[in-house]
Amino acid sequence: VGINEQWGNGMGEGLSEFIRAQMKMGLLSDPRSRVQETLLWYQASLHITFSLSLSLSLSLSLSLSLSLSLSLAFCSQDIRNTVGNIPMEWYKDYPHIGYDLDGKKIFKPIRNKDELDEFLDKMENPDYWRTIHDKMTGTDVCLSDEQVDLVHRLQQGKFGDVNFNEYEPAIDFFSNEVMIHPVTNRPADKRSFIPSLIEKEKVGKLVHAIKMGWIKPRRPKETAPQYYDLWAKEDPNAILGRHKMHIPAPKMRLPGHEESYNPPPEYLLTDEERQVWEQQDPDERKLSFLPQKYLSLRAVPAFSRFIQERFERCLDLYLCPRQRKMRVNVNPEDLIPKLPRPRDLQPFPTLQSLVYHGHSSLIRSISISPSGQWLVSGSDDCTVRFWEVCTTRCLKTMEVGGPVKSVAWNPAPSISLVAVSYGENVILVNPGLGDRLICSATDQLISSYEEPEEVKDQQVQWAVPEGKAQEQGQRLILTHPKAVKQVSWHGRGDYLACVMPDDGSSLQVVIHQVSRRRTQNPFHRNKGAVQCVSFHPSRPYFLVATQRYVRVYNLIKQELTKKLMANCKWISSMAVHPGGDNVICGSYDCRLAWFDLDLSTKPYKVLRHHKKALRGVAYHKHYPLFASGSDDGTVIVCHGMVYNDLLQNPLIVPVKVLKGHIITHDLGVLDVAFHPTQPWVFSSGADGTVRLFT
Amino acid sequence: MSQLQARFFTDNKKYVIDDVPFSIPAVSEITDLSNVINKLLEGKNGDHKHVEFDFLVQGQFLRSSLATHLETENISTEEVVEIEYVEKYTAPQPEECIMHDDWISSVEADSEWILTGSYDKTARIWSLEGKAVATVAGHTDVVKGVAWVKRDGLSSLLLTASLDQTVLLWEWSSERNKLRARHCCRGHAGSVDTISVDPTRSKFCSGSWDKMLKIWSADYSRSEESNRPRKKQKTEQLGPTRTPLMTLSGHTEAVSSVLWMDTEELCSASWDHTIRLWDAETGSQKNMLTGSKVFNCISYSPLCHRLATGSTDRHVRLWDPRSKDGSLVLLSLTSHTGWVTAVRWSPSHEQQLISGSLDNLVKLWDTRSCKAPLYDLAAHEDKVLCADWTDCGLILSGGADNKLYTYRYSACLSDAGA
Repeated sequence: VGINEQWGNGMGEGLSEFIRAQMKMGLLSDPRSRVQETLLWYQASLHITFSLSLSLSLSLSLSLSLSLSLSLAFCSQDIRNTVGNIPMEWYKDYPHIGYDLDGKKIFKPIRNKDELDEFLDKMENPDYWRTIHDKMTGTDVCLSDEQVDLVHRLQQGKFGDVNFNEYEPAIDFFSNEVMIHPVTNRPADKRSFIPSLIEKEKVGKLVHAIKMGWIKPRRPKETAPQYYDLWAKEDPNAILGRHKMHIPAPKMRLPGHEESYNPPPEYLLTDEERQVWEQQDPDERKLSFLPQKYLSLRAVPAFSRFIQERFERCLDLYLCPRQRKMRVNVNPEDLIPKLPRPRDLQPFPTLQSLVYHGHSSLIRSISISPSGQWLVSGSDDCTVRFWEVCTTRCLKTMEVGGPVKSVAWNPAPSISLVAVSYGENVILVNPGLGDRLICSATDQLISSYEEPEEVKDQQVQWAVPEGKAQEQGQRLILTHPKAVKQVSWHGRGDYLACVMPDDGSSLQVVIHQVSRRRTQNPFHRNKGAVQCVSFHPSRPYFLVATQRYVRVYNLIKQELTKKLMANCKWISSMAVHPGGDNVICGSYDCRLAWFDLDLSTKPYKVLRHHKKALRGVAYHKHYPLFASGSDDGTVIVCHGMVYNDLLQNPLIVPVKVLKGHIITHDLGVLDVAFHPTQPWVFSSGADGTVRLFT
Repeated sequence: MSQLQARFFTDNKKYVIDDVPFSIPAVSEITDLSNVINKLLEGKNGDHKHVEFDFLVQGQFLRSSLATHLETENISTEEVVEIEYVEKYTAPQPEECIMHDDWISSVEADSEWILTGSYDKTARIWSLEGKAVATVAGHTDVVKGVAWVKRDGLSSLLLTASLDQTVLLWEWSSERNKLRARHCCRGHAGSVDTISVDPTRSKFCSGSWDKMLKIWSADYSRSEESNRPRKKQKTEQLGPTRTPLMTLSGHTEAVSSVLWMDTEELCSASWDHTIRLWDAETGSQKNMLTGSKVFNCISYSPLCHRLATGSTDRHVRLWDPRSKDGSLVLLSLTSHTGWVTAVRWSPSHEQQLISGSLDNLVKLWDTRSCKAPLYDLAAHEDKVLCADWTDCGLILSGGADNKLYTYRYSACLSDAGA
């Protein structure tokens, strides 16, 4: 502000001269009084404008025209042109440029300068640089030397007045020194020595407020200490305590007998041990030196590896990991997820109850009748046997022409048929067990087939057996081009899927319709070797398991719905939950993968309870149970609860390991199946037995 | 506790001793106690012969030393212990071993004849001495159940139930040894596994795998037959077809065993883990007892009004069919190691029963000792499938080793002499 004032003063004085010059020109009539006024006014207005311009940090390098126009623009009473601060273009088309104080028109110069004039002027006129165009009057003004000097000074940031000494000694008017001539000689006011009534009133109010406790005269001092003990609250037992972080360097082992110059003979290495020691890597050696025996301490030579050993010791100290291991005290049992106790999940099979003896070779496949009264088993001894479940009585034995790979009882309760696959054939057998009416109805159903008029050429030959085979119960023989590994019925009992594994071939899965004796090949192309197939229990889906993937096809839309990735090397078996939303897969690499079809295409859970390859998996129809049979001779029964609530994941708890099968030729359990109504599980094994666990 | 005070008492007047407490060693076992009683009896009665006794403490047979028994049963040893003694039950004496051609699925004997059903699709009649008398051949499948209906002098009526879904009613005259199929009862849609004749011998009930119970009339009158044309008689070798009087449905699984508790009440055990009591007149279900395992067999004792069941979990369980409160299972008899396939109450003793199991054993139980049976009858070499106990004290059991064993059992030696 001080500088501004000085600026203002300087400016004012500079301009006062300018005005004085104007006055000389006769523009101002009453020089004395008017100049005084104008100056004062200039000073004030400049003061404001400069402080403003400064505060707005405008550049101080004012151009000549700007400074003048500023000085003139701010002068609302332009003494030469009274039009005021307006854009001068408004007078562009007029001959005049404004009005003077007397209301007379100020005329423009007769001839306007064009560019050429300007240029010639610039070239020729030596005063061109100090000539400025005054917009208000439309005239060119040639600045005098003083004015140019003033402008230079202002541009340099100096005072406008040349004579102004900015470093004049300051005179203190109000000082401690008593002058003979006081600055003011006014007698002191009366109010300066009598008490002020207003103040008294105010003080009275304050006193009253203090008395009433409305205001507190003094704020109570804060008692909280400004500094505190940083380590006061530190737990001295804390692992991170400052002084606890010291980790001592590992200690060197004390020398033992083997380091003695005269070790006991058992510490001396024999020749073999010495050889071993020499062949070992220096890092692997238990001892870094060979114990040696000397007659006396005198005879001991210097330890040749001494320096080396010291160096290694230093290296050890230097490189030793000075890290404190944080031991988390977690009870290992807390880490195990909380599962219900198997006891609470009963019923599930716990004991081996019955053994079905009769087969002489390994039993590849078993199946239970829908009523739960009969059991069928197919074995490598080329026989199929029908058993009574509750007494282990073998009621029927049927010989077929090859090792039986797969048997499947028709799941429809109104049909009495069993599909048996051996070699390239699949035979449909009416076992003649259970309700006589159903048996005869089934026979009728098959025999009532009428040959269609146009016979399509099918890849599978349907034949009706005759003679002994017919008496045995065989009703239809289907001859396939390749060996059939698995047969699987649709839930309604009319469709039968057969698997002929053959890597990459187009004919791996065929679906037969028994009532119309028709065969379809649903897939033109199969990726990989198909291991097993299964119909979905409720929806028109068809599940095909290849070595690594399970593909779910929609049979109606004829498209791939889902592809499940089993994360295992080779799927061996598959079962679909009766609810239809879950699938389990057993694999030859000891895993059982549970898929939740709603959840993901990756396994929801993978169980690795078996020690060897899994051969069979099965779900129970009603109870929340599933079982897996493996080459290690065990059947593992798990509780697998699937909730109706879609938000709740299935609960899987392994409940029982069932042992009983004898491992023969490195094969244990080959197939598992649940009883349709009771919580019983059947398993067939390589030892030629079927076992029932209840 | 080396000695304890005991007082002995008995119901048998023959062996009564003075009613005074004795101090006996706590470690003494049955033989020691038996010697004590014998000593006392000899002192009282000069010509007493040595008798083996069995001892009961608060209704439980003593099977270990006195001290351990009291400890396990939680009985105070500071007071006088009341010990009942009874003459020791003698072991059943094996009598006959009757060979069959195939597995024996069912057996029923009366005072003269034994009837067995077999897996060779026939039933056979044997004399009590083991002599084959007749072969009942007519079924086309395994015979699963047999029953005697009644006997009028020399002619008898008998029933055979089979896997071929029929029950056949036969008339057999023992004099001429002639068998005629009189009726063929058709109606079941599954194998008929069990039949039972009502106490009035006029009706019988069959239970089948098709979950149904059917009540049939067992009446047979000759006059009925004479009305029929002769030609038809010839064609119908198995007799005219008979339809059921009543069908009781309610079980959700196969019916494994059925019996008449009295003339109006039927009881059936099933694979659906229930025992159901039925009113034979109206055919309605009166009561239901729910177990946790499949029931294989059931037996009822009119002497003690208890049901005994054998199930697929190795236990023989006793039930009170009249109880309305929750405690349905009164007792479990646990010693078998396989499924219990046959139970039969003693017709004369209210606390004894036999059970046959798939572990090849027949066991004789006394309900007063539920942990260990009185006797194991280990004659079978394969699964025991059926057992019976006749009024005249004959125990029969048949099984998968094609043999029917008979045992003569008299509760006490003294009874045997009588």
